[in-house]
Amino acid sequence: MVERTHGKFTRREVLKGGTAVIALPSLGIAAPSVLAQGVSRSPTKVLDFMTNADVAKAEQEGQLVFYCHENEAGTAGIMEGFNKDFPKIKTSYVRAQTGALYNKILSERAAGRFDVDVIQLSDIAPAFDFRRKGGYEHYVSPESSAYKKDHLSEPNGYFFWTGVDPAGIAYNSEKVAASDAPKGWKDILDPRWKGKISCKISASGLQFVQWYTLRKIYGDSFWKEFAKLQPRAFDSRVQLFDRLSKGDDMITAIGEYPAYILFKSRGAKVEFVAPPDGLVATPLVVGAVNRAPHPEASKLFVDWAMSKRGQVWYQSNPNLYYGSVRTDAPAMPTGVKLSDFKLLYPSDWDEYASQSAAFLKEWNSMLGL
Amino acid sequence: MRSMESWFPAQKVVGYGVAAIAAVLVLYPVYFLLQAAFDVGDPQVRPPTAYGADNFGSLLQYPQIMLNTLTVSLAATVMALAFGSLMAWILTRTDVPGRRLFEQLMAVPYYLTPLLGALAWSLLGQPESGFINGIWRALGGQSHLIDINTPYGIAWVMALFEGSVAFVMIAALMKSMDPSFEEASQVIGASRIRTIMRITLPLAAPGVLGAAIFVFAEMLGSFAVALVLGLPTRYYVITTAIYQMIQQYPPKIQVAAAMGASLFAVMWAMLYAYRRVVMSGSYVTITGKAFRPRLLDVGRLRYVLLGICLLYLFVAVVLPLATLFFASLQKIAVIFPTAENFTLDNFRTAMTMNAVRSALSNSLLLAFGTATIGIVLMGLLAWLIYRSQLPGSGMIEYIVMFPQAVPRLVFAFGLMWAWVVFPIPIYATLWLLLIAYLTVFLPLGVRTIAGVILQIDKSLEECAQMCGASWTFRIRTVTIPLLRPGLVAAWLLLFIASVRELGASILLMGPHSKVITPAIVESWFGTSSELTAALALIQTLVVALAILVLVAVTRRISAQPVD
Repeated sequence: MVERTHGKFTRREVLKGGTAVIALPSLGIAAPSVLAQGVSRSPTKVLDFMTNADVAKAEQEGQLVFYCHENEAGTAGIMEGFNKDFPKIKTSYVRAQTGALYNKILSERAAGRFDVDVIQLSDIAPAFDFRRKGGYEHYVSPESSAYKKDHLSEPNGYFFWTGVDPAGIAYNSEKVAASDAPKGWKDILDPRWKGKISCKISASGLQFVQWYTLRKIYGDSFWKEFAKLQPRAFDSRVQLFDRLSKGDDMITAIGEYPAYILFKSRGAKVEFVAPPDGLVATPLVVGAVNRAPHPEASKLFVDWAMSKRGQVWYQSNPNLYYGSVRTDAPAMPTGVKLSDFKLLYPSDWDEYASQSAAFLKEWNSMLGL
Repeated sequence: MRSMESWFPAQKVVGYGVAAIAAVLVLYPVYFLLQAAFDVGDPQVRPPTAYGADNFGSLLQYPQIMLNTLTVSLAATVMALAFGSLMAWILTRTDVPGRRLFEQLMAVPYYLTPLLGALAWSLLGQPESGFINGIWRALGGQSHLIDINTPYGIAWVMALFEGSVAFVMIAALMKSMDPSFEEASQVIGASRIRTIMRITLPLAAPGVLGAAIFVFAEMLGSFAVALVLGLPTRYYVITTAIYQMIQQYPPKIQVAAAMGASLFAVMWAMLYAYRRVVMSGSYVTITGKAFRPRLLDVGRLRYVLLGICLLYLFVAVVLPLATLFFASLQKIAVIFPTAENFTLDNFRTAMTMNAVRSALSNSLLLAFGTATIGIVLMGLLAWLIYRSQLPGSGMIEYIVMFPQAVPRLVFAFGLMWAWVVFPIPIYATLWLLLIAYLTVFLPLGVRTIAGVILQIDKSLEECAQMCGASWTFRIRTVTIPLLRPGLVAAWLLLFIASVRELGASILLMGPHSKVITPAIVESWFGTSSELTAALALIQTLVVALAILVLVAVTRRISAQPVD
């Protein structure tokens, strides 16, 4: 398999060229040509997952530096999970929104600083870019056999989907009767929501996915109609549900399922609607960074995060609640599996990434920016 | 002649030394910021691949944002100066009861942080869920009584929580004013009001003008309040627009840098006007004649003034803190909670969060370092600008004011680019934050101390000089003792400013150098307003304890009479 350097991979190409490689990991056998690029030792079992990392060496390194888009509590939660299993590895992290975080790591690397072991991003577009720039370490985890090829970088070994953040519509059940609540995506365009509906700012990878996928389904006019409602935009899902639960907004056009679970558990009067056309969803991508100061710890983290153990942690931490795309993932705390939802992803990630400027222009202009 | 020769080199060495340090601190990151402002190449590639002025041209796309920024900043500056001047005069120049306590409480809104002020007032004044509006409707009112999401609501909160600096600057100045001028005015028959209008205010003019310029710049760069209160009504100002630009992917950092760089021109114009004013008149109030600060007897008016103090502190301190406390005890903050909505989990969670432990101790350590180093550096700079006759010293003021002109969110990028390539490995450590704080607070420290220096009669230093005192001896025995009250106020101001710093810290924190205010912002973004309220209260409590100890120490120092 020839490694592409300009990052243009379509789903069709992936399916055409990758059948054999997909088959082998599913049998628990990694393709030697791929493995050879990043692995120099046989996988070993640690706790209940497989790793190519030298655990003793990782513990000797003693540290893991994590860059993450997730909020403080979520990032700390990820580190806490890893640190519980590997207490000899001290964890530290930097968190920022994907745009600022990505600029930070690029600036550091341009200046010859390589302080980061692992990076997690909320948008696949910068992950492609980082891959193109040679920022990721090529490391094929033995745990990648539990993932479909669509949820791994192409070729495998650069990044993977550590979780999925699905979103539907959410509303305040004290302000909106169930009979009046939106049933599908087109219902959010009802003029009665004018000034009472919220969405996310353009920094959100999920918002970009929603803009892209619903535009594909309902046409360019969908978001123009939406703009007429003068939606209010916020940074985080917590802010959206905070306002929703207090009645400051009646509905949110991008109600993230993890936030719905969190607020519902606190007794908030909010309800979730899964539109028949599907929930918009964005992957959260994790990859080991090359020239990492703690290379074995970074590999170990990737394996841990990919493992069932790590995925259960990601799925059940209240500040994360990411749906797992692992083929054997258990249900989320609500008893629902991610696979129970119909999910809407961009069908062509490269085409999606190319629409970034158009999205930013339309979204910022809609918000008066 | 020999003594002249002996002190002049010391003056030169120290003067040019601090000037060089200030220039490096400021101009080094400014260079990178300007480089980004003119970068029209790939935003993800550094150093830039192409240069041009297109980023400045694109600023014309945002007239509404510019207008919003000016509206809110002007309104907030006027309010802050009105509050600050009135409170400073009441608490430093009159015999209002309990003024010592009030004076200390005046700093509380400042270290509460604008974010927390905004959060509290958001809980109070949201049209739908605001506590005040909830009570209003419960009493039979319709719709809502107040709407904190309006431009003037935003300005109100900015003035309360960002504008405390006006009080500190003006109070420091008023403390150093010789009351004999006011007494003379009253002796010759002028009324109290006339004395205030004809004596007190004109004497305070340079300090007030300096505070006005400073506060206006602070308001231009205000971020947290506009973020919390402006976004719900899509009311964007420069900083919130910049925030959006740098967070998105790909970030529009070049346009943000151009937006920031364009504010240099605004700041320079204001500084030029300020210098014209202060250099054209005499504002000396500390002369060779000894004085002890004495208070104006305002008669029964003192109870009215007491009422004003109580009202101010109620809306700026008591109400926000009580609101945060009430919210922090709930799962979802509402004005009429049910019994099952109450919880202590927010405090339990806050105590286990990393932010409360390492971040808070880092913040206190940094604040102590910034204030202590800063007071020496900034005191010398203020002296250099206003007292030394070294060539080019006036230019230093323009350089020092650079960081104030640019929102810290943007200036932080200049700092990051500058120090990430610096050969000494301080990037991502507390040292970087210390350098960043010393840089961004240069205008605050210099402006605060300058307001006091301007009031010291040069003849006092000249007298010592003629008596043969060396420059260092003169600074130590004449200038510093006279400046002591102002220096103590400036030290505390720098300490508090450092603890609450947000804009620069967000980007410059490393994995092992977390500080508290960004952690609280993170909590607000990512957890809940109730947990954030608990975090803020813990921060407030710890910082309050630290300040109480520091005040007790500094009070001893500033209480020593100037003879």
